[in-house]
Amino acid sequence: MDSEDDMHDANDVESLDDDFYSGETEDAAPMDYYSDFVEDDDADDYYDDGDDSGSLECRRSEQSFTVLKESDIQERQEDDINRVAGVLSISRVSASILLRHYNWSVSKVHDAWFADEDQVRKTVGLLEKPVVQHSNINELTCGICFETYPRAKIETASCGHPYCISCWEGYLSTSINDGPGCLMLRCPDPSCGAAIGQDMINLLVSDEDKEKYNRYLLRSYIEDNKKTKWCPAPGCEYAVAFDAGSANYDVSCLCSYSFCWNCIEEAHRPVDCGTVAKWIIKNCAESENMNWILANSKPCPKCKRPIEKNQGCMHMTCHPPCKFEFCWLCLGAWSDHGERTGGFYACNRYETAKQEGVYDETEKRREMAKNSLERYTHYYERWASNQTSRQKALSDLHQMQTVHIEKLSDAQCQPESQLKFITEAWLQIVECRRVLKWTYAYGYYLPEHEQAKKQFFEYLQGEAESGLERLHQCAEKELQLFLNEDGPSSEFNDFRTKLAGLTSVTRNYFENLVRALENGLADVDTNGANSSKATSSKNAAGSSKGKGGRGKGTSRGSSRATDDNLWACEHCTYANAKSATTCHMCNLPRR
Amino acid sequence: MANSNLPRRIIKETQRLLSEPAPGISASPSEDNMRYFNVMILGPTQSPYEGGVFKLELFLPEEYPMAAPKVRFLTKIYHPNIDKLGRICLDILKDKWSPALQIRTVLLSIQALLSAPNPDDPLSENIAKHWKSNEAEAVETAKEWTRLYASGA
Repeated sequence: MDSEDDMHDANDVESLDDDFYSGETEDAAPMDYYSDFVEDDDADDYYDDGDDSGSLECRRSEQSFTVLKESDIQERQEDDINRVAGVLSISRVSASILLRHYNWSVSKVHDAWFADEDQVRKTVGLLEKPVVQHSNINELTCGICFETYPRAKIETASCGHPYCISCWEGYLSTSINDGPGCLMLRCPDPSCGAAIGQDMINLLVSDEDKEKYNRYLLRSYIEDNKKTKWCPAPGCEYAVAFDAGSANYDVSCLCSYSFCWNCIEEAHRPVDCGTVAKWIIKNCAESENMNWILANSKPCPKCKRPIEKNQGCMHMTCHPPCKFEFCWLCLGAWSDHGERTGGFYACNRYETAKQEGVYDETEKRREMAKNSLERYTHYYERWASNQTSRQKALSDLHQMQTVHIEKLSDAQCQPESQLKFITEAWLQIVECRRVLKWTYAYGYYLPEHEQAKKQFFEYLQGEAESGLERLHQCAEKELQLFLNEDGPSSEFNDFRTKLAGLTSVTRNYFENLVRALENGLADVDTNGANSSKATSSKNAAGSSKGKGGRGKGTSRGSSRATDDNLWACEHCTYANAKSATTCHMCNLPRR
Repeated sequence: MANSNLPRRIIKETQRLLSEPAPGISASPSEDNMRYFNVMILGPTQSPYEGGVFKLELFLPEEYPMAAPKVRFLTKIYHPNIDKLGRICLDILKDKWSPALQIRTVLLSIQALLSAPNPDDPLSENIAKHWKSNEAEAVETAKEWTRLYASGA
């Protein structure tokens, strides 16, 4: 009975449909165009999955990061400075110096300060009173240029060491142009440790240098702070603040780039950081070249240079200056060959020796290297082609947003807000290509001996691939028809329903896939090797989703109730009315 | 010519170096370039360099005093912080430079470095290794080199 259920799940009738519909309830606001289509299909049964959509909602809303624009960063920085200045009753300049020293951690500043204020003042260089007093002196000698100036032309930091305004300017500007070290600047006197704060900078340097200093101060707030990082996308100026304790490291910036908070590589769910690092190293490692050489070449028996045989007979002649002539098979000198050794296309010496097992060791090594290289190439090619495909999709998305949407809006007489489903479809394609790409790194590192897992994984991956192809095709080819038209088309609404549906189906499939893979395909063990092929994403996703409050029993019940009225499309899993002969969603015939 | 508008600071420093030289140190500007100094440092007493006269060159770059002077030993010396080209590993000549420092303070620091070699922050790997593995022998070599190359000839 149980296995029957599993078989039944394999059709994905309930799993994806459930998710499909719940996906739509959750995003109710922008998707009102769904409502009529839901009623048409009498899909009330599906709504008993309210819990599930709730959990999805909740999973999404617990976003563990905040993207910060420059103004946000400034605001946060100001807030922190004001807080410290307020709590410690010190100036904002001093508070800023303190925070800079304690990597912008307000709590660390507080802890250190209240533990030992004197010590903190000393290390940071916040003096309570000047070291040098100049009361009643009208003239002072600058400690740098040795000139004597009237009191008004001399500036001092909190320590009182006198330097003239132009020497100060030179000192500060040299330091600012040397880099972010200027944020930790001290009095020029080597024995003094008085900190130089922003007040001195504002008083004494050019606007250009002030600007630079402010940049460094802003950068320091992001770079020295453990809770924030810059978005690594080229040219992006946003930063991301991450809440410690979140298990999900994937972060997506407002610039649309997604990256992993932990390792700063691009987002790579469902693969973990360690695997990604291994994969990236592997992709650029010399070892693969070595494998190739080993697999496809033999060293010249005389000069030992590796030689690739890409065509022709077994009679090899090494490059000058070596020019050694030898037999490719037995690597013996060609001069020893002739009629009696089997002629030009075979080598009896080799055949005999091979039978005697002389070449076994090297041949075996070569064969193994070749196999492992082929295996790697298989995964790498697919990884890379999804990468390329994703880049293309990104530029298509951009093109869509900047050019086509507007045209389409005119042609179809639809407000642009009603065309959001197209952008959403493309965003989904971009995201899916990313996930799919990483599943190849996942597959490469899946242990050879776990046959059941491997089979199951490949099944899931295959399904994901074909689902995504369907969506990609729809967003690319079918949309093109409408882009070429000048006036409104009656079929546009059908297209909308189809593309939005495919987007939603694909999104849910991929979300389940990611969870299943992150789960280490844990369900395979319990299902055993035999049923693995038949197990659908439902099982993989179901268990991890279990905590979302969706009882398996209820969903099964609902699917049974609907089975009588609906049939599930084999291609897109959409549940169609019994009377339909082609799928309402993907237009493919019922099988 | 750079000499024509030499900053007051350099002129004052030069005057002071000539009128009240630091003990064991002499520095005099070259005649055709007031930013180039010929320097002599006497090996400090109770150091392996005692009795030696070490020649150095010191140059004040255009940015001086905002940038550190450039100093180099001309006399061969066996010292873990000085390499065979005479370059010196000294913090105040690099990141710890401050415009409040002067030629005099730099030369005094170099003199102090001769008294207290620091093999933990080496410029010359081999000499530092020698110093750490067998200090007595390294000191002997340094004395030998002082005799050979710095005996005031």
